[in-house]
This record gives sequence, C-alpha cells and structure tokens, in this order.
Amino acid sequence: MEALIVVAVAAVVVLLLVAGLVKLMWKVAEPDEALIVSGLGAGGDGRVGLGFKVVVGKGTLVLPGLQTVRRLSLAAHKGELTVHCVTTQGIPVGVRGVVVYKVGDQLGEIANAARRFLDAEGEMDRNVHEVFAGHLRSIVGTLTVEEIIRDREKLAAETRSSSAAEMEKLGLVIDSLQIQEVEDPTGYIENVAKPYMAAVEAEARIAAAERNREATEREQAAAAEAAKAVSESEIAQARLRALADKAKAEANQAGPRADAEARKAVVVEETAVAELEASRMEKRLQAEVVKPAEADRDARVATAEAEKRETELRAEATARRVTIEAEANAQQRRVLAEAEAVAVERTGEAEARATQARGEAEAAATKAKGMAEAEAIEARAKALERNDEAVINVQIAEQLPEIVRAASESFKGIDNLVVLNGAQGMSGMLGEVMGAGLAGASMFRDLFDRDGNGTEKARGNGGARSESRETS
Amino acid sequence: MAFRRSPVDDTVVGKVGRVTGRVAPGEVGEVMIPIRGGSEAFNAYALDPEDTIRVGARVLVVEFEPPRTVRVQPY
Repeated sequence: MEALIVVAVAAVVVLLLVAGLVKLMWKVAEPDEALIVSGLGAGGDGRVGLGFKVVVGKGTLVLPGLQTVRRLSLAAHKGELTVHCVTTQGIPVGVRGVVVYKVGDQLGEIANAARRFLDAEGEMDRNVHEVFAGHLRSIVGTLTVEEIIRDREKLAAETRSSSAAEMEKLGLVIDSLQIQEVEDPTGYIENVAKPYMAAVEAEARIAAAERNREATEREQAAAAEAAKAVSESEIAQARLRALADKAKAEANQAGPRADAEARKAVVVEETAVAELEASRMEKRLQAEVVKPAEADRDARVATAEAEKRETELRAEATARRVTIEAEANAQQRRVLAEAEAVAVERTGEAEARATQARGEAEAAATKAKGMAEAEAIEARAKALERNDEAVINVQIAEQLPEIVRAASESFKGIDNLVVLNGAQGMSGMLGEVMGAGLAGASMFRDLFDRDGNGTEKARGNGGARSESRETS
Repeated sequence: MAFRRSPVDDTVVGKVGRVTGRVAPGEVGEVMIPIRGGSEAFNAYALDPEDTIRVGARVLVVEFEPPRTVRVQPY
C-alpha cells in the first residue's frame, strides 16, 4: 500500500518534472514577433544559408544550453523627423514629418533585420531616423514647396525611389511617411497664398458688401414699411380718436341740448298759451266791440248803399226816359227823313225815267222831225236862198207854243212844291222859267242860223230843269 | 512534426495585385499583394521596362526578388 502511494507520488512528480521541462524548452512566438533560434541544429532546417532558425506565428522547442532564442518585434515603429532643407526652387524650409515603419514579414527581411538590430531596437530607431533625415532632405530637394504641400502621391513616389533599396538592406518596410508641418522662414508660402487670399478676401468683401447692401435695403424697406404701418396706425388711431372725441362732444352736448329742447318746448307751450289767451282776448274784443261796431257800420253802409242805389235807379230811370224820348224823337225824325228821302228819290228816279223816256221819245221825234225838217229846210234852203229871214220867223212862230209847253213841263212832275220866297219867289221862278224858254227861243234862232240842229235845244231845256230841282 | 501541417502562404509569384504607386520607367512602383492571410506592399517594377502602369490597375506578379521587390505586368 505504502509502495503504491510512493509510486503514485513519484509518477506525479515525474509528470510535473516533465511538464516543467517542456514549459522551459517550448517557446511560442507572438503574432507580432519573430523567434530567432540559433545554436545546435538551428541551421539545418532546410533553410539553406540562413545560419539560424526563424519562427513566426508558432512555437518551437528550444534545447536549453544548446540553443538560444531571441525575440524580434515585427510591430510598427514610429519615428519623428525634423529636417531643415532646401526645395528645388532654392527656398529654405523646415520640414517636420513622421515615418511609420516595421520589420518586414518576409523571411529575408527578418533575417536582414535580425542580423542588424537584434537586441538593439533603440539603435534601429536611431538609424532609421538618420537614414530618413537624409532621404527626406534629398526628397525635398527634388520637390517644389507647392508639391510638398499638395502632392502626396509624388512625395510617396520619391520616398520609394530613394529609399526602397536601402530599406530592403535593413529589412524594414515603410508603412507611411507623412510631412506634418512645413516651416517657412522666408514667408514664401504666405506670399504664394496672398493672391489667392486677396482674391478670396475681395470676393468675401464683395459678397459681404452685397449682402450688407441687400440687408440694408431690406432693413430700410422694412423700416419704411414699419414707418408706414406706424403712420397708418397713428392715422387710424387719430381718426378713431377724433370720432371718439366727436362722439364724446356730442354726448356732452346732448345734455344741454336736451335741456334747451325742453326749455324750447316749454316756451313753445307758453307761447301757444299766450297766443290762445290773445286769441281769446281778441275774440272777446271782436264780440264785444268790433262786432257791434261793424254791425253799426254795416247798417249805415247798407243804408247809404240803398240810398245810392235808389238815387242811381232814379237817375237811370230819368236818363232812360230821356233817352227813350230822344230816341223816339230821333226815330221819328229819322223815319220822316227817310220817308222823305225815299219819296224824293222815288220822285227823282221817276222823273229821271220819265225824262229819259220823254227825252228818248223826243229825240226820236226830233230826229224824225229833224230829218223831215232837214228835207224841208233843204227844200226851203233852196227857197231861202232868196228869202231866208222870212222863213226863219215863220219857223219860230210855228214853234213857239211848243217851247212854252216845254218850259211848263218842269212843274208838271212836282207833287207839292214848297215855295220859300212866297209869291215873289213864285213869280221869280216862273219868270226865270219863262225867261229860260225865251232865251231858248232866241238861242234856237241862233242855232237855226248856224246849222238848224233841234236836239241842242232839247238839251238846253233839260239843264234848266235840273237847276230848278237843285234849288228846291 | 505535426506543426508543419498548415503551410504558410508566403509565395507572391503568380498572384494578382493592385498598383498603389505608379509603375513607370525610372520610378519605383508599389503593389499590394495578398499574402499570409493579409496584404503587404511590395516594391514593383514593370516586366517590360518601358511599361507604365497607373495606380489602381490589376497586375500579375511574374518575378520575385527577395526580400521585397516584384516584377509585374498588366493583368
């Protein structure tokens, strides 16, 4: 039993011992490092000419005492560079850059790096710094300032061109080279920038000015609008205030006006009352004074008018009577005169007709007698050539009774003859008529002496008759 | 030993990469090549020295010059 326990303990101890040994001898490489194993049998790995064993990403058994193992970091390193150099234009600049590098993952690179930097990684940084300072200087020498600033591609290309071979020698890989800052003691960059800055500034100022102008315009427009709005508002307020004042004033006036109206109504009423009273007084006056007076006056007027009427009527009656009497007289006279005139006219006309008829008859007779007498006279003339005076006297004697009768014919047609001169007038008239008859006789004689025309004698009688009628 | 079972892909020849720095005469180009599960930058020259290969072009790795230089041609 005891032996069994001893055996078991011994086994455990052996196992622990073996595990400890393996732990001591088995080395494992981290992902970012390489194990460099050198010593017994390290070179016989099928890797010809390497002389040591490189283990990356796995474990390996290292025989203590016979082999040695070192670790080479494959992690990235960073080196900062500050270089004063001159560009291709001859402008001095200060360049501050960063280079990120690592040991390459290729076996050859690991071998190169292992041979140079194993256990001396501080040395590696320093070396890289120096190398890159030189390279950067030469790179910048091939570039212009503008390219340094802008052209990353060219910078990377130049970096590769100048440093690729060298880096392969060192077994290093450049992951990145960046220029962080370019110092410019001469102000070149500033001057390069100035035109652009000026242009940009000008544009900025122009834009600012334009915007400012627009803003000012808008502000002014807005201010104008605001002022207009304020003005309109004030106008409206004033108008409303005026309306309110007017209303207030009217309201204030309303009281006094109502009072006045009331007083006016009272006065009107009083006036009406006074008028009514005056009217009553007037009526009373009329009834008591005017009416009796008027009645009296009317009575007197009526009396006077009646008298006037009476007088007028009387006068009228008188006038009428006189008129009628006058008219009656006038009428009487007129009728008498007319009757007389008619009578005279009729008489005249009758006489005229009688005279005409008689004349015509006489003319015819005379003509006939004349013709006969002419023949007789002709015959007698022949006789008278011896004794004409005797014949004429015989002729007149024969004719005398005829002549007197003709003279008395004037009075035959007259019905009543008013003789104004009495008997003397009568005898005068007769004398005249007779004288006319005798004158006619003597005239006849003359006539017969000259041409023996009997019609002339008749006419001379007619003219004497018309003269006598005119005198009547 | 059993540790050798998983081979590490550390070859570049025959791979297709992408140009990240212009390949031109007189310049050292740069090509990104997938390797070891990641990608690494290699210094690159054109197989034909007169060729110019612009950035972004795909290239075929034809030759490998250890430790970190390749010759490529447009793919």
